[in-house]
Amino acid sequence: MPRWISSEPGEEEGLLAGLGIKDVEELFADVPRQVRLGRMGVGAAREEQEVVALVDKILARNRPYSKYPAFLGGRMPIRYLPAAVDAVLLRSEFYTAYTPYQPEASQGMLQSLFEFQSLWVELTGLDAANASLYDGSTAAAEAVLLAHRVHEGHRFLIPESLPWEEKSVLRNYTAGLPVRFEEIPFDRRTGRLDLSAVDRAVAGGDVFGMLADVPNGFGVVDEGLLDLKSRLKQAPLVVSADPLALTVLEPPGAWGADIVVGEGQGFGLPPSFGGPLLGLFACRNEHLRYTPGRIVGATHDTNGRRAFTLTLQTREQHIRRSRATSNICTNESLLALAFTSYASLVGPRGLAELARKLSERARTLAAALSAVPGLKAPAFDAPYLWEFAVELTGGDPEKFLDRLYRRRVLGGTPLADPRPGASALPAPLYLTAATEFTDEAAIRKYARAAKAVLAASGGAQ
Amino acid sequence: MSFRQARWDEPLLWEIVPPPESLPAPPAIPGLPERVRRKSGVRWPELTEVEVIRHYTRLSQMNFGIDTSSYPLGSCTMKYNPKVSEMLARRSGAGEVHPYQPEATVQGSLELLWRLERALVKITGLPEVSLQPSAGAHGEFVALLMVRAYLRDKGELDRRTEVLLPDTAHGTNPASAAMAGFTTREIASKEGRVDVDALKAAVSDKTAAFMLTNPNTAGLFEKDIVDIASVVHGAGAMLYYDGANLNAILGITNPGRMGFDVAHLNLHKTFATPHGGGGPGAGVLAAGPTLAPYLPVPRIVKNGRKFRFDYDRPKSIGKIKTAYGNFGLDLRALVFILSHGEEGIRNVSRRAVLNSNYLAARLGKHLPRPFQPLVKHEFLLSGAPLKAHGVRTLDLAKRLLDEGVHAPTVYFPSLVEEALMIEMPETESKRELDQFAEAFERALADTPENLKAAPKNLSVGRVDEVAAARLLLLSWKDLRSRGAELGASPPSGSAPR
Repeated sequence: MPRWISSEPGEEEGLLAGLGIKDVEELFADVPRQVRLGRMGVGAAREEQEVVALVDKILARNRPYSKYPAFLGGRMPIRYLPAAVDAVLLRSEFYTAYTPYQPEASQGMLQSLFEFQSLWVELTGLDAANASLYDGSTAAAEAVLLAHRVHEGHRFLIPESLPWEEKSVLRNYTAGLPVRFEEIPFDRRTGRLDLSAVDRAVAGGDVFGMLADVPNGFGVVDEGLLDLKSRLKQAPLVVSADPLALTVLEPPGAWGADIVVGEGQGFGLPPSFGGPLLGLFACRNEHLRYTPGRIVGATHDTNGRRAFTLTLQTREQHIRRSRATSNICTNESLLALAFTSYASLVGPRGLAELARKLSERARTLAAALSAVPGLKAPAFDAPYLWEFAVELTGGDPEKFLDRLYRRRVLGGTPLADPRPGASALPAPLYLTAATEFTDEAAIRKYARAAKAVLAASGGAQ
Repeated sequence: MSFRQARWDEPLLWEIVPPPESLPAPPAIPGLPERVRRKSGVRWPELTEVEVIRHYTRLSQMNFGIDTSSYPLGSCTMKYNPKVSEMLARRSGAGEVHPYQPEATVQGSLELLWRLERALVKITGLPEVSLQPSAGAHGEFVALLMVRAYLRDKGELDRRTEVLLPDTAHGTNPASAAMAGFTTREIASKEGRVDVDALKAAVSDKTAAFMLTNPNTAGLFEKDIVDIASVVHGAGAMLYYDGANLNAILGITNPGRMGFDVAHLNLHKTFATPHGGGGPGAGVLAAGPTLAPYLPVPRIVKNGRKFRFDYDRPKSIGKIKTAYGNFGLDLRALVFILSHGEEGIRNVSRRAVLNSNYLAARLGKHLPRPFQPLVKHEFLLSGAPLKAHGVRTLDLAKRLLDEGVHAPTVYFPSLVEEALMIEMPETESKRELDQFAEAFERALADTPENLKAAPKNLSVGRVDEVAAARLLLLSWKDLRSRGAELGASPPSGSAPR
């Protein structure tokens, strides 16, 4: 039995004596007999070393990507994490704290969240950021809800190239609203958004906004997005952006984005099988009162000393209840701390240099893969950063990735919607990414394995 | 206890080393059009590692956590977060696993999630569990989306547009219902519990669901739960369990046995995963047979010794976040369950309820208890009598901070005037309860002047929240342009570094 509950002899008796009762069971007299439980069947208690052994045994069935040349990513990149990031996260005054409802007792977390908001504002070029949402996909969904609050209309435009999971999240978050999503197709050669389709959709009227992603679902950096805002006729432009990309790309705020969201896991957190993740959210000042989530503001204390506190709380569920801007309560504060400390430890020049280095390696990787018969890498003729789509000239990308793994290469991220009956991708595509671990040897191994798989299967059919 | 929090003049990151106003453009990336390239580098400071570490170490010293003090926030279940869980969550087999690796390479992650799901099925008494939601409120919202999908399949969505809840409900309940497209109606409580007659009068063929927390936020067990379930089901509506207060009933009763159709749990409350200063949390959805087909995809299934993701759930609402859930937190929750085992888990609630009643009896000598005597894991006090001395509950809360303990939840639920909601989970010993009670008694005995001047022992004095909302200085960008409006001197930054 763990020592997490005091079992000092006489203690329970002391507590009971304070109540003037004999048995703890009396405290449950108000739970009706007919709903009382017998055994649950959860099993017996374990000593700490037994739990460690069991969990380690379970985890040993995993094959961590660190053991292989790994080219996975999507919105969840593999990055080297400086040891100092975890040293910050392990300060238990941070990680064992609750939401900073009492600002005087929580200046540390409040100041670090203020710094986090400031960093996302600097990266996006927008006016204000909140203190985090669950992940990039729910941040995008909250952005659609904000757009719906501030602009009339029932139609919302999204890129056809958006990952299927994100489309599904958007549909779920708007299930209770009279909202229709319309997909803007991409150019089959360049992977870029078909801007004339945007014009046609907007001309149809009733559009309350559009979402575009940088890079897009195929890794493409689409120059055309810089001209998107003027085509939307005042409707809000939501941009979903990769934070590392924003260290080298023009901030979306400078080209008209009204809301910028993103997934922040790449800054300071391991993918950890997909969670926890970090939702980033920034907007313009005029939309502040309609934004979801916690916001930290600077103020002063009674002695005129600078201090920080949660602010604009009248938007939130604990005050506004059914009229709140969002139901979110728990967010991802500790991961916001990881984000800011990662950015500060690597530094702004270091981050931009990382973006450059990864992009350079991605070009080496693309060259090696495009030399493999049966692969087109990158699949699209367009600018990209460290991740790009690969097209198999025949075959099933998932099977191909499985076969690559049998040759000890984790070749990339599948893109297809795995639900039966889901619409197929326009081509057999998957994503592949260069990381800090992508050295010459890893690239050679990948190309060799791909060649062998394709030769053996005649196209991974 | 004599207590002084650290008071560092800790500058903001960019006040340590101010970045210049214009920075050279970042390096060019081959093939990237000049037009999309950032014209000047990100304005963020270049710091050394030790500067960053000192910054955050000092900030951490200006923050309460469970590791520094007891944290009696009602409905938040601030229990100790075991260190072994932190160690295990940092294993490479946990962190260095990508959600989109081939299934053959993630059997450990899948098995861990599957085992947690099975344990939670036993604990909740509901047959199917999904770990996908990121937090409790996320779970509430998703459950209501499932109710929507179910009603659509039944052809009743156009009619059943209303979600009912008691006036003691957490704010997330009505907010989640509204987000899922339902109207909400609050039912006035009777002596702190659901008024079954009022509920009977309120349900109709328009009711989609009734959302209930049991025990509720007044700390009372809804002992009419069997009647409540029958009224709700009799009207053809779904009964929703808000699991924020599950810590009171582990092994005693469960949502399935009480007749709930769907439940959310907060792993960061009941199952001891850390709250991270506001998150990450982890939500869980447990569903009965009616709503289980609508759970988000993928579901985890076991075939022999092998685990796989199952996307073939035609009625599923689809995805509600990227990937599958907060794995790092799920691991910690499983550690909690494995360590405690059957008896230990039951003991969690026994002890949490014992702590709560003990403290309620002791503090109830000083301030009125609106509902008594028997409570579950939390209880309410009213600070209303303080008003005669010109003191409010808020002043008492701030004065408690000066004792080195966190304040209770204040001004919630709204049915109690000047409410204080106190929860001391099972991990607090009698010594801690007595120390908290003594601190509470010292605070109450202090002069009104001192109470209103509190806190004095923290890194800052009473924070002006009204000014924050008026100034709206929300980032460095705001401080650059309007920082003078603050009228407060920024820290000198002259601390030895």
